[in-house]
Amino acid sequence: MSSTEGFRRHGDHSYVAQFADSEKEVLLNLCQQIIELLAERTDHGNDDPLAAMVGITSHDSPPEDDVLHRLLPNAYADSVDASEFRRYTESTLRSKKQAHAIAMRIHLKASTDGTVDLDHDNANAWLGAINDIRLALGVRLKVENNSHEHLEILSPDDPLRGVYAVYTWLGWLQETLLSALIDDADEDEESQLGNS
Amino acid sequence: MVKTADKIEEEIRAIFSSDTPWVTIVWDDPVNLQTYVVYVFMELFGYSKARATELMMQVHNEGKAIVSTGSREEMEHDVARLHEYGLWATVQRGDQL
Repeated sequence: MSSTEGFRRHGDHSYVAQFADSEKEVLLNLCQQIIELLAERTDHGNDDPLAAMVGITSHDSPPEDDVLHRLLPNAYADSVDASEFRRYTESTLRSKKQAHAIAMRIHLKASTDGTVDLDHDNANAWLGAINDIRLALGVRLKVENNSHEHLEILSPDDPLRGVYAVYTWLGWLQETLLSALIDDADEDEESQLGNS
Repeated sequence: MVKTADKIEEEIRAIFSSDTPWVTIVWDDPVNLQTYVVYVFMELFGYSKARATELMMQVHNEGKAIVSTGSREEMEHDVARLHEYGLWATVQRGDQL
């Protein structure tokens, strides 16, 4: 489904890609799904408002939904420590992930001709959002042990076939943005070494 | 009784002692691209591309790698940032590996 050439570096710390209307629609839709999925986990009104204000949530157990569980994983192997950490941090993590997807949506929406031009921080938001989408699709596709064999042989009428096509396309898109960013980082490193 | 209380106190001291190192562990994940993991290590920890690649390969080949070491608070901060970028990470006490 690729008509874009992916991201390329454009001048100093600027990363540009041009998307076809259909690609833009797919990306907007996926961002929206991530935003809504994370919103499902939002805390209910009976929480202590002060606690809510400082980011303490009522959630102390991981989400039952497999996708949400992958997006909001435990920070400790020990369940008591994991619960404690989750209570104080999960709502911040959800907001940050939503912010990445919202930023990506805003850049796409603002583009009339399908071109997006990202600075370094925006590129990081895109990377995070694309990665969250890939994680979500990966859970649905049951991607395990780097093996894609069961996905390569899906029949043409299997709805997962389209999901897998989007998943691999997003991986390719992420890779093009990464190579542009890492080339930059390498040059920065070299120039710093040169200055020391 | 006294012995038990001493032992508890000792454990509490160990938890709060800045001498006890904690670690951040990143676990292998079949979805995250290798290049992405390298980039996140460079970006969040300021590691060189060579160091970040070495850690990514350790995660890939051994299933996990220690990516940072420090106080418990520092490690919790690192894990939160890794989770923000979708890496699968946990905090652990360094003496309980």
